[in-house]
Amino acid sequence: MSDTKIKKQEEPWQGGVAKNITFIVTKDCQLACKYCYLVGKNEKERMSWETAKAAIDYVLDREEEFPQESVVWDFIGGEPFLEIDLIDRICDYIKTELYRRDHHWFDSYRFSFSTNGINYDSEKVQRFINKNLSHLSIGITIDGTRRKHDLNRIWKGSGPERGSYDDVVRNIPLWLEQFPGGGTKVTISSADIPYIKESVLHLYGLGIHEVNINVVFEDVWKEGDDRLFEDQLMELADAIIDGGWYESCSCSFFSENIGKPLDPELENQNWCGAGMMLAVDAAGNFYPCTRFAAYSLRSKKPLIIGNVRDGIDQDKLRPFLTLDRLTQSPQKCIDCEVASGCAWCQGENYDAADTDTIYQRSTAICLMHKARVRANNYYWNKLFRKLELEGKKEEYEKNKPEANASLTC
Amino acid sequence: MKRKVGNVTEQEKQEILALFERRNGLTELARILTPDNAELYEKLVADMGATGTRFQQWWDTTSARYGWESAPDGNWEIDFNTNDIYLVIPD
Amino acid sequence: MIVQLCDTSASFCHYPNTRAERKLISVEALRKALRMAMCENMTVQFLYPDYALPSEYVELIESVDHAKVAPVGVTDEADIVVLPSLDRADEVKEGDTVCVRISRAELCDSVEALSALLRRVTRLNVSLTDSHTAVPEELPAYADALDRLGETVKEEYARGHFVQLNLLTDRLMLKQMNNCNAGAETVTLAPDGKFYICPAFYLEGDSPVGDPDAGIEVPNAQLYALSHAPICRSCDAWHCRRCVWLNRKRTLEVNTPGRGQCLTAHAEREASRRLKERMDAAAPGNMFNEIEKLDYTDPFEKVSR
Repeated sequence: MSDTKIKKQEEPWQGGVAKNITFIVTKDCQLACKYCYLVGKNEKERMSWETAKAAIDYVLDREEEFPQESVVWDFIGGEPFLEIDLIDRICDYIKTELYRRDHHWFDSYRFSFSTNGINYDSEKVQRFINKNLSHLSIGITIDGTRRKHDLNRIWKGSGPERGSYDDVVRNIPLWLEQFPGGGTKVTISSADIPYIKESVLHLYGLGIHEVNINVVFEDVWKEGDDRLFEDQLMELADAIIDGGWYESCSCSFFSENIGKPLDPELENQNWCGAGMMLAVDAAGNFYPCTRFAAYSLRSKKPLIIGNVRDGIDQDKLRPFLTLDRLTQSPQKCIDCEVASGCAWCQGENYDAADTDTIYQRSTAICLMHKARVRANNYYWNKLFRKLELEGKKEEYEKNKPEANASLTC
Repeated sequence: MKRKVGNVTEQEKQEILALFERRNGLTELARILTPDNAELYEKLVADMGATGTRFQQWWDTTSARYGWESAPDGNWEIDFNTNDIYLVIPD
Repeated sequence: MIVQLCDTSASFCHYPNTRAERKLISVEALRKALRMAMCENMTVQFLYPDYALPSEYVELIESVDHAKVAPVGVTDEADIVVLPSLDRADEVKEGDTVCVRISRAELCDSVEALSALLRRVTRLNVSLTDSHTAVPEELPAYADALDRLGETVKEEYARGHFVQLNLLTDRLMLKQMNNCNAGAETVTLAPDGKFYICPAFYLEGDSPVGDPDAGIEVPNAQLYALSHAPICRSCDAWHCRRCVWLNRKRTLEVNTPGRGQCLTAHAEREASRRLKERMDAAAPGNMFNEIEKLDYTDPFEKVSR
């Protein structure tokens, strides 16, 4: 067995074969993060049990229309754990109904959560976790060091700004004990750039070995941000390699497969999974992804594809299911020499488009992607040189895992 | 102590993965299902027995086929990502 | 350039026009637009209302090369005669090019009246008012009606009258996609003096895409082109209108047709294929296209495979 190890980023559970069904259980959150794309958060729109049940029944009544091998029942907010009683009832109902109906998903399902971690240790949440442990995927969002985290992730309300770092970090040991491979999601906006390196290393130090980090898709970038970003990533690359972190930890900024031109025919697939997923909100409306719900959109009307009473309007799904990379991309992206790994969010594309379309790719992150590619090249060149000098490069190449192309959201 | 003692094919992995998932599903369902729900409860009890048997059969058959190393207090584990089989002996 | 002269100008296509209040385009706007059309080498089609136009309009219209689309009986010079109802089919003159808007059910019930019309006209354009709502169960009846109309077409050919019926003969004669192309190759000047993607976009209250002073700027113009329509570019129902207004109505995207429009176009394509077989038997060596039999009724199935 090889002892040359570079930790690979974990693949999403049943990536590519699982249907993702999202319940927007609440639009409320304890926090008011500055970079949050949810512009319409509120305390009123809480999902009722009747709506949740109708959505579950709608999906389970149509097993042939949802033939995917597996299912991920996703709970999102706001902060989903604010509605733990409802979630518990939903999950119990799903389990019972899957079994009662002999539904093929009984043998392959997960309940997934992305939480701010604040009430993670509450009795109700813990009871729920212990009851469903083998079917749970829970990610706690912690942005890095106290100063980076508290820069954006602040408590809601008037009065002086109060960061949430202490309220989250205290729950990390319990979370890692329950989910040892747990990863966190870090979001980078313009103001966060100077803290990237220290934050990633801090998270590694907390025992979080999987750091999924990305720049926001919105057009928030200032002149010079790309240079600062590149510098930060190169410093981070040095620290990860010199400190040997690459053996046990991963950071999604660095990937062997990014920064290459893309084949117009063979690599023409859409990046985003919108339309493959199904989201339902408190009103019982269906969306191709939560990013198309009203509370996520700055300047466009919600893109509703049906509701729990009338069902899904398949015509409204057709644009999503036939969307490809080239059709939505401007020429500069089609010709781009470093196109691979450059992501997009269909919801943000829609929100930022000149017309009401999902077919206009936003290029707000163009310079940031190019900066990432340069730093990424530096990372791999430096790492491979190190392995080479240590006589381990050949061994790594021989044993390295196959590259996977997977959806990221 | 944990050491690799073998490897299974993708198809074999899928068989035990499906049984593993079902067993977990049944176990967690058992936590919320009460005898009041007689029909489902009886189905669950029978299913847990049958699934447990098939689960054990897979290990018995597959370990015999490959002749994996064993230990009196040890048990085998599978890594679903690599299809590797490990012998785990409590320290 | 399509010029909708009045709010009440009759629809010649899928969209309905229920406006009853007359609102004629201003002479000034018309003059500017026609000058622009000449400068930009655009061909002009005028959509007439059902009343006589003031002389200054007539004069302006006659100052450019154009085509007239007018309700039956309004002018003797119409290039395309719009028939508001089959009840008025008698008013159509021998050799006219006629446009009629009817539902699928009406078409199925009116095969004889349509056949009678086919015997007299050069070309009949049928614009279905409900192609977008078609479901598979409804299509056998439509296919049967098309076959019966095909029989009339065949008979007319046999007697040397080479009549065209858009639903059947277009696919037999076209060599590539020939769609409406609103937004890509055509634009509509509305009675408010502004440009729109097509009359339907104006009537629905959409934002204009320009005016004769500022010019035309269609946002995301590429999405109106075939190259940017993933389903349509892989389709060979070449006669399909590929109506961007219906597309948006059904799928919220101008470049993506709903299932109804595709099913209808493929029912027509298949009827054209059957007509070709019958024509081959009756008149071997005819110049009509061979049409391949397909294993799908909606090209979405092919694209998403």
